[in-house]
Amino acid sequence: MTKEESRPLVLIVDDSPHVTGPLRILFEETGRRVVVADSIGSAVRACEAERPDLMLLDVSLADGDGLSVLEILHGRPALPAVTVALTGHDDELTVQRCLAAGCRDVLLKPVPVRDLLRHAAEWLPERIASA
Amino acid sequence: MTARMDEGTNALEPSASVETRLAALELAHQHALREIAELKGRDTLKTQFLANISHDLRTPLTAIITHAEILRDGILGELSARQHESVAGIIGGGRRLLEMVGEILTYARGAANQLEIVPTEVAVGDVIEQVRRLNESLVARKELCLEIQVAPEVPHVWADREKLAHILGNLLGNAIDFTPSGGRVWVHATARHESPRDTVLVEVGDSGIGIAADHHELIFQEFAQVDASASRQHHGTGLGLTIARRLVELHGGRIWLESELGRGSRFFFTLPTQPQP
Repeated sequence: MTKEESRPLVLIVDDSPHVTGPLRILFEETGRRVVVADSIGSAVRACEAERPDLMLLDVSLADGDGLSVLEILHGRPALPAVTVALTGHDDELTVQRCLAAGCRDVLLKPVPVRDLLRHAAEWLPERIASA
Repeated sequence: MTARMDEGTNALEPSASVETRLAALELAHQHALREIAELKGRDTLKTQFLANISHDLRTPLTAIITHAEILRDGILGELSARQHESVAGIIGGGRRLLEMVGEILTYARGAANQLEIVPTEVAVGDVIEQVRRLNESLVARKELCLEIQVAPEVPHVWADREKLAHILGNLLGNAIDFTPSGGRVWVHATARHESPRDTVLVEVGDSGIGIAADHHELIFQEFAQVDASASRQHHGTGLGLTIARRLVELHGGRIWLESELGRGSRFFFTLPTQPQP
């Protein structure tokens, strides 16, 4: 494993660059690698190819329900260890639906940067570089 | 349309035969039904537009706020004190705008009957405390005295926790906004034995500017503000109380107020303690 590969990988699934842009800066500047997907299909492919440690998942994507990604990857090794839903609505129904689908947490956009970094430290145990 | 109405009106003159007048009445009735249907259709479109635009406004706002917070937290390098102050202004303004967009979205969903509640047993005191903490800095800035009283015998309410926080947030926000510096604001909760279900009565009161009796109903209407002039001192969407009433009623509760101009306001609402039988 190279030093680069030892950095945790975050997959951000959202169809708006307004969301993915600042999150990419935030995670890359704090020592993580970032991959972005903007649809259910590209998110599934990114999970299979990149094996992210954390997936931040918008529940409402242009091509359907973001939670489908979890359904498609259910029981497969490509399923990220931690998935967190980022949503525009944190009503009880949405929260329950996300938790039932396997999300570790449900956060309302825009998530305060300080909260996101604090959570990320819990979700992403640092890898031990073997390179 | 005017010509058809005139035609109908002439036919309704007493000199016209009964058959002619009946036919004209039927025509007018059909016309009114079509007008109502058209207006309802337009109202639905307006509501849907509000919901869509509010949702779409949130996304670029998310970008503005997150980028600004990245700068504020020094992730891209330390800022000078003045830069910090300026970025804090972007964040403060962005968060306020986000709240207002959220209110419009909630209102639009309510108007389209798309608001749903997921009730559970909720300790009303916990939610009051949560809303108090959110408003702490505003209370301190205006040097208000905020008093919270939850009677020990108050039972849990059967409510959607997030919606209850929304109701309390809107009422407490108004109380703070409309009370001059140094004034008093309070939130009290007491148990009430009522038929068919017991309720908890929550009072959000203030020693602020008060509301004249002839405005007591108006303020619950959408977009209404007692002072609607461009120079008005209190700004907002004018939806807070409309939303509060809709949310209380969704729970099967009631909301009302007691107030006089210059003598403060007391808003009351009830929430059930049990699910509907």
